[in-house]
Amino acid sequence: MFRRILIANRGEIALRIIRACREMGIETVCVYSTADADAPYLRLADRTICIGPPSAGESYLDVSRIISAAEISDVDAIHPGYGFLAENADFATICRDCKIEFIGPSPESMRLLGDKVQAKKTARSARVPIFPGSDNAIEDEDEAVTVAARIGYPVIIKAALGGGGRGMRVCHNEATLRGNLSKARQEAQAAFGSDAIFIEKFLESARHIEVQVLGDKHGHAVHLFERDCSMQRRHQKVIEEAPAPGVDRKKIETICTAAARLIRAAEYSGAATVEFLMDDRQNFYMLEVNTRVQVEHPVTEMVTGVDIVQQSIRIAAGEPISFRQREVEPGGHAMECRINAEDPQREFMPCPGRIESWRPPGGPGVRIDSHVEPGYVVPPNYDSMIGKLIVHAPDRAACLARMSRALHEFEVGPIKTTIPLHRSLMDNSVFRDGGIDIHFLERLLK
Amino acid sequence: MIDIRKLKELVRLMKENDLSELDLRDNDETVTLKRGVNQQAVPGPPVPAPAPEAPPPEPKPKEATTSSEDGFVAIESPMVGTFYAAPNPDAEPFVGSGSNVAPDTVICLIEAMKVFNEIKAETTGLIEKILVNNGETVEFGQKLFLIKPS
Repeated sequence: MFRRILIANRGEIALRIIRACREMGIETVCVYSTADADAPYLRLADRTICIGPPSAGESYLDVSRIISAAEISDVDAIHPGYGFLAENADFATICRDCKIEFIGPSPESMRLLGDKVQAKKTARSARVPIFPGSDNAIEDEDEAVTVAARIGYPVIIKAALGGGGRGMRVCHNEATLRGNLSKARQEAQAAFGSDAIFIEKFLESARHIEVQVLGDKHGHAVHLFERDCSMQRRHQKVIEEAPAPGVDRKKIETICTAAARLIRAAEYSGAATVEFLMDDRQNFYMLEVNTRVQVEHPVTEMVTGVDIVQQSIRIAAGEPISFRQREVEPGGHAMECRINAEDPQREFMPCPGRIESWRPPGGPGVRIDSHVEPGYVVPPNYDSMIGKLIVHAPDRAACLARMSRALHEFEVGPIKTTIPLHRSLMDNSVFRDGGIDIHFLERLLK
Repeated sequence: MIDIRKLKELVRLMKENDLSELDLRDNDETVTLKRGVNQQAVPGPPVPAPAPEAPPPEPKPKEATTSSEDGFVAIESPMVGTFYAAPNPDAEPFVGSGSNVAPDTVICLIEAMKVFNEIKAETTGLIEKILVNNGETVEFGQKLFLIKPS
């Protein structure tokens, strides 16, 4: 097992990793930028190293600074968390070259699954349902039109190296498709460094259901069932829950098993999430694979009892996954509300600044993953998420009641947060019924 | 021309004998050496932490930044790595207490990922004190030298 790990991240996920390491008896080294110099979680790390100024490009995203910090602190491994360098295959390669274990997949499997065209090919051969569309990157306009005619409009143009909803264009007819192709290529090149694009069938309405998977270095993969993340705004998840309400459990089992097959086929080790869209007939189509621990991992932890961050560390250290698929028994219902320092009344304008009062909820089945303490200053340089409120209860109705109760107790000020939005969503009858689609929140906010 | 070796010897003697001030004159030259930072009878105000709302100007790569402390200016590390006071283990240190520096004077090396980066003074003045030891690891923003600017 590793003696010492460097945490190449900040905020709540840095704290999450520090906690996992402490429970495992692993020393922690936490890097920070000058903007995070007063971050409360730093006191919990065994050592901290200031690596740069506030800008992420000169701190958390700067490979040489991270590696230098890893070298001077003599760590065995680096945990990249999520975001920043977590899905940077070049960084994973450099770690390997420097004989520092990267807690995550190999650069090869990261690249394979991070390239959506390659991921689809691997998915097809692993019998994972995928969207009808082009088998390879599109070469020219006529090919695009031929593919679209075969699968039927509407279609979506996507960047092969894209993700997170960026660089996508929906086309409802041939004229629009022809008109958008070259712009889509340019955007893909600028944003992701490659102009490779492909085409898929586009679903007007769908639910976002994803599967948590763990793969180890011995060829085993287990799934930890699904999460429903349909509550989104601008492709950012707002609320996640498990299990997915009102979906045939046999169909869920099928995609979960398929997701595990995919991870095994890609020789992927670590935590991964296979994202699907589900149409109104409960057909599933793979969207993409996220080759990292995700923000919403606690939802699955509450429902399965598996510590996903500890598992990711054990897997990286070469241990086989310590349980069998049949031992994973999800229980109850869990939900997570992402708490952002944003003003829902003002177009979700970010609200950095000093938090004077911070009164998180407690009691049975309530978990707060947050690095915030009273007096904490939310820096303007990074994303606006200040915490996650996760709730677990015996069933969905009890979970809704518990989340409402917890949100009622939760007071943060004077900065604005999305807590009021979450409170109103818990009261929303359509959400309470379960099964909202991915456009629900944006329709509601209009 | 003031002999650096002689100066270093004087500095060593001062340290050994815990002298705070040494004033040497002969026909040709005058040398005044002072050592120790906190010499005031009245303790000065604490150095305020940088305000998070106004982050310090971001330095260009590998260029040290400075901060003020009681009339002396501290040169801060622009990077994470290992501090070396001399160009190689057998050589004399780049600078010592009492060395004059100009903006382009190399004052130390910081090694990271097997690359040795020359760190320049970026200011004109006199080295007052070296704050880190040879071979010590340093982080971004860590104070390396105290300089009395001229």
